[in-house]
Amino acid sequence: MPHITIASTSLCVELPFRSLLTSLEEVPDCDGLVPFGCRVGSCGACVVAIIKGGNHLYPPDDDELSFLDDLGYSPKTHRLACQSLVLGDVTIALPPAL
Amino acid sequence: MSTNRCKHTGLGRSKPFLTPARSMQVRTEIDRLLDQQIDDWYRTVPYADHFEGSVIDQDYYRRHLIETAWRIRILRVAESKALAEIAKRSPEAAQLWANYEMEEMLHDELFIKDLERAGVSRAQFLETEPYLSTKLLAGFFSYLLDHEGPLGVVAYSYLVEYANVRLEPKKLDAMRVTLGEYQISGQIAHSHTDVNDDHPGEVWRAIRHLITSDDDIAHLKRYLVEHQRILAMYFHEIYDDVVLARGRTREFIAN
Repeated sequence: MPHITIASTSLCVELPFRSLLTSLEEVPDCDGLVPFGCRVGSCGACVVAIIKGGNHLYPPDDDELSFLDDLGYSPKTHRLACQSLVLGDVTIALPPAL
Repeated sequence: MSTNRCKHTGLGRSKPFLTPARSMQVRTEIDRLLDQQIDDWYRTVPYADHFEGSVIDQDYYRRHLIETAWRIRILRVAESKALAEIAKRSPEAAQLWANYEMEEMLHDELFIKDLERAGVSRAQFLETEPYLSTKLLAGFFSYLLDHEGPLGVVAYSYLVEYANVRLEPKKLDAMRVTLGEYQISGQIAHSHTDVNDDHPGEVWRAIRHLITSDDDIAHLKRYLVEHQRILAMYFHEIYDDVVLARGRTREFIAN
């Protein structure tokens, strides 16, 4: 199963292949780390930085690309966690305090 | 006479009553009406512009967030029932409404997270009962769905989305200064959805499919006025409960 490493913490958890990153909430110690909001990619509450393994997330669709652009993020460095399907090992950083 | 007893399938009309051009015309008319209602709101509702000011009443802010989260939680139930009624009339409107509801469905969490940032725990939120005005609004939705149809319920969302897109940016800009951006990050995220997904436009497209006569246009205008009256009841209720009650308590202690 793919490993999700959360930078600046000691957490490295396994999620089933093709899980959404929203599944992090169901992992002990990870609940609440990412402040999920609408969970449909339209509010931007769950932006995470991709440190490593961005190519192991299913590519963003046009809506996510457009919204990340509106928020001032590049899809190469940031993703909406609620829209990110896990295909392999990834390292993410938690959203900065706005 | 048809022997087919199957009705309410939403397939009776091939084209909306409002042509695209007429729809734009009616929407402009409705928007002007709402602009007038917003002006009336600022003139008559206590604390209407409170969050746009330079000082925030923290008790009022926290209680307002609590009620906003409750309103979303309670109305999403009635709004889900509306989907069934809409689907009986217009599957096109139902598709639009379902998409809008999908985007809004979990927004209570955004307000609850801002509550936690303001020092109110989830348990404290859950222990606080919604105001009567919020319950009455949900009851009004239920009445509308049972006896007048779903247009009134959808009209509420148009009122709220139009007002949000027009007023929230100004309010959030002020609150970035008074409270700090992190403290209101849930509300900022909520506003992202309304603006970036063009929620007024989404709801209007649903309304367009639900308007089947000139009478419905008149009904829509009445619904917008009625919803504003109920929302004003809430603002009076919270003002009385938080601001006036605090004044009464201070007076009692002083005496």
